[in-house]
Amino acid sequence: MRMIAERLTLVDKIRNLHWSLLLTFIAIASFGTVVLVSVTLKDPQMAGIPWQHMSRFIFVLIATIGLAVAPIRIWAMIAYPAYLGALFLLVLVEFMGTMGGGAQRWLDIGPTLIQPSEFMKIAILLALARYYHQASENNRTPNLGNHIIAALIIGVPTMLVLRQPDLGTSLMLAATGGVVIFFAGLPWRVIFAGTLAVVISIWPIYQFGLKDYQKERVYTFLDPSRDPLGAGYQLQQAKIAIGSGGVEGKGFMQGTQSQNNYIPEQHTDFIFTIIAEEFGFMGSMALLTAWAIALIFGLLIANRSTTVFGGLAAAGVVATLAFYVVVNIGMVMGLMPVVGVPLPLISHGGTAMMTVMLGFSILLMVHIHRDQSMVLKGII
Amino acid sequence: MSNSQRNRDGEFTRRSIVMAGAGAVLWTGLAGRLVQLQLFEGEEYAELATENRIRLDPAPARRGVIYDRFGQRLASNKRNFYVLVVPEETDNLEGTLKNLARYIPISRTKHRRILMQARQQAKFVPIPVADDLSWQDFSRINVHAPEFRGVYAEVGELRSYPMGAAFAHTIGYVARPNREELDNLIAQEIARLQIGPDNIVARRQVQSRMQRIYRHPDMRLGRQGIEQFAEPYLRGQPGFERIAVNASGRIVDRLPSDDVAPKDGGDVVLSFDAEIQKFAIARLGEESGSAVVMDIESGELLTMASTPAFNPNDFVSGISHTKYNDLLNNEKKPLYHKAYDGVYPPGSTFKMLVAAAALEAGVAGPQDRVMCRGKTRFGGRDFHCWKHGGHGVVNMKSAIQKSCDVYFYDIARRVGVQKIADMARKMGLGHVYELGMTGGNKGVVPDPAWKQAVKQEPWFEGETLNYGIGQGYLTTSPLQLAVMTARIAAEKVAPSPKLFIGGAPSPDTGAPEYEPLDPEIAKQLRAGMYAVTSEAGGTAMRAGDVGNGRRLAGKTGTAQVRRITTAERATGVIDNKDLPWRLRDHGLFVSYAPADNPKYVCVVVVDHGGGSSAAYPIARDIMEFTLNRDPASKTTHKVASPMAQDETTRVDSEAI
Repeated sequence: MRMIAERLTLVDKIRNLHWSLLLTFIAIASFGTVVLVSVTLKDPQMAGIPWQHMSRFIFVLIATIGLAVAPIRIWAMIAYPAYLGALFLLVLVEFMGTMGGGAQRWLDIGPTLIQPSEFMKIAILLALARYYHQASENNRTPNLGNHIIAALIIGVPTMLVLRQPDLGTSLMLAATGGVVIFFAGLPWRVIFAGTLAVVISIWPIYQFGLKDYQKERVYTFLDPSRDPLGAGYQLQQAKIAIGSGGVEGKGFMQGTQSQNNYIPEQHTDFIFTIIAEEFGFMGSMALLTAWAIALIFGLLIANRSTTVFGGLAAAGVVATLAFYVVVNIGMVMGLMPVVGVPLPLISHGGTAMMTVMLGFSILLMVHIHRDQSMVLKGII
Repeated sequence: MSNSQRNRDGEFTRRSIVMAGAGAVLWTGLAGRLVQLQLFEGEEYAELATENRIRLDPAPARRGVIYDRFGQRLASNKRNFYVLVVPEETDNLEGTLKNLARYIPISRTKHRRILMQARQQAKFVPIPVADDLSWQDFSRINVHAPEFRGVYAEVGELRSYPMGAAFAHTIGYVARPNREELDNLIAQEIARLQIGPDNIVARRQVQSRMQRIYRHPDMRLGRQGIEQFAEPYLRGQPGFERIAVNASGRIVDRLPSDDVAPKDGGDVVLSFDAEIQKFAIARLGEESGSAVVMDIESGELLTMASTPAFNPNDFVSGISHTKYNDLLNNEKKPLYHKAYDGVYPPGSTFKMLVAAAALEAGVAGPQDRVMCRGKTRFGGRDFHCWKHGGHGVVNMKSAIQKSCDVYFYDIARRVGVQKIADMARKMGLGHVYELGMTGGNKGVVPDPAWKQAVKQEPWFEGETLNYGIGQGYLTTSPLQLAVMTARIAAEKVAPSPKLFIGGAPSPDTGAPEYEPLDPEIAKQLRAGMYAVTSEAGGTAMRAGDVGNGRRLAGKTGTAQVRRITTAERATGVIDNKDLPWRLRDHGLFVSYAPADNPKYVCVVVVDHGGGSSAAYPIARDIMEFTLNRDPASKTTHKVASPMAQDETTRVDSEAI
């Protein structure tokens, strides 16, 4: 195990921070705070939320930079333990988890409840990146066997999460893991064959693999008027909010839909409706553009990385963030079924913020250590 | 050197570009959707957003006011301060109710009922917690409103009866619609809209709309008297108010809603004179009894009092069980309209009709004499006169004046049961007068056919003798006695009673066509009645003078409550004073005044008064009071009748 490039001092590392990406993130989180003010100001019980959101972001941001300056080796070394730990917790959830909303997702660890599937979102990326890193050593190209093992690394936690049942998160694990395998060089012919297989298997999975409430979501998505006061109502109201925002929006705190509480979960999963209603097409496009910029920065970071570990981890994080943004906004606009996915950096909520910022620290870390290479042996 | 190079052969970059392309497609999809929703369909959605926050809230119509003839309010509307709770918005409904109970009274039953209602209906439907609150309670809630999430203090309108108990029996009262009434109203509405049994969606809509309207805290339905009879007319057309609300239903703004506004209920003017009614009630005092004052020419009722009464205001917001049971178990029957629903044997007040029947049949002349020795024997039985020693020789006039029983036994036997019954019906007995209120009792005018049908027995001639003095199966209501007296006193007209003189169209009284009494016969009867109060030996001499030289003419009556046995007669009839109240005789008095130019009839019945002496002083005073108000009582209150022509809201006896 040798270090090729020169050692980086802490000052070097701070200087190496990706300031543009950092500023983009800060801009999005600040916008999120403004939107949360609009949502919560009228309700004294929720008045603390924007402040909590911003302070949490600042605190986590500092922790993120702290993690990002940690040597890339350390990240690689904790990849497997983190993955196995998260897997262990998922198994634990299976046996002794707490039910919530019809699903068993939470683990009661005395003072608080934790959701192991959130940790898994990041751990799975690190584990895959590390696995491919070692598989690529000595100028080797990962073979089909390596890809199958990678698929197992993804498949085991995905199945566990699906059993909770949490369709959204398991789809996310599968999709982001799949993106990592793709970046690791999965042969194109396998990709085409796989795509075909997936398309063919969608019907039986839908028919036998989905719970009733999951099917209901799909039905409602296909025909919102079917259930005017349930999820379809929510979706209908969300569309009215977004559409009525028009070009310029109704103005800060002027949204009739959002200010009058027509949209449930408007400070969490449906927060995009407020942006669209109060800040209009301009505000919504600004947010979409900001996210596009952040994700392009992320892809560039992945490309700039010397190590396979860094490149694949960064690409996985980009896929994770993109998944959040696309699924959340797509769902709110009625392009996708309603699954409980928050809009990162904007929605209020601690767990998703953790995951997103952990991913963000990986991006920063990969960028800081872009010129370093490393050799890993064993599993620690 | 590096053994694990990432970007071998630029493959990673190539794949990055593929992924970036996929991302760009997704991004374009999102942006395209935004363009579609916000730029192309923005205006449609803006309209939907506006419609969204507008809600139609049920608004009961202002209930029609009931006036007396001079415009005094007998039933009107007052401000109703009420408190609602929306279960969905409270943190904990039970806790909220407990906290509220510190400021306003919430009984344990009420508490339970609210919790039950909250379980049964949608969580966003408001539940009335308390209404008819005092201003103090209401402002306390308002001050503390921020502490209570989901609690709303509002102001509406509620029925009130400014005269309290005075008109309770005739006007009735209103109460919250009960389940049965609501179901009936829903069924009626469904029938009116001709919704078929298969159209479940439309039925549900009607049901939910009606429930929203009739569960409104201001909504009341008539439960008795005029309030019930004229319900559709008084209620008006409930409508809606268009308000801007947020998703949880909190009112943000009130918007123009003339097109859906409720249509006020129609007002009603009654022929009553509130002052006479109040005087009559005061004069009856503690007695259980009734008084009717009627205008002879028009038939308009100036008073129809029944004592004791109940306070209809107690019923508007729900009467307590104890209070209601007290009313129910009171032996003086305060819930009962004694003037309209109560029937009594008319006793001697019936004698004029026996005389009229005899004169009409020609079986007795005014001057025919009868010897009264205190009793007469018929069919092996003694029929006693009320006067132990007898009246000696009497003719028709003195027999009426002294109320001689033996005279009327004699002429009743001569004229026969059928002619007496025919005369009784002709003079207004045995009939329910439809006045525009619930209730009414037609009493019994017996004849052989009636007895055969009801008792399955033939008529015995001995019963005809009792008929002659107004006893036996014969029963009449005080209102009927007033009609009878008016028909004796009237010249050339045959009055029927009337209560509605403005606003709602007067209902058809259903009184049969009637030929006025032969003026010569009426004159004989009036002469007797005049003598009762104004010639030496009359039974009500002290009632004759009604001031200003005006005389009152009348007839006393006593309705026996118990049978006097032969043994008792031998030892001396027990005086009424020594009997328990409920066994004492009813005292009756029928009268008209002024005697020389009859204008008003006054009938007083005192339950268990011990005899007519309990009744005639009261009748005299009421008559004097009425006559003194006379010049004023000719101008009457006029109201606009907003719905008189409206087919759907016309007073309709079907609607009871």
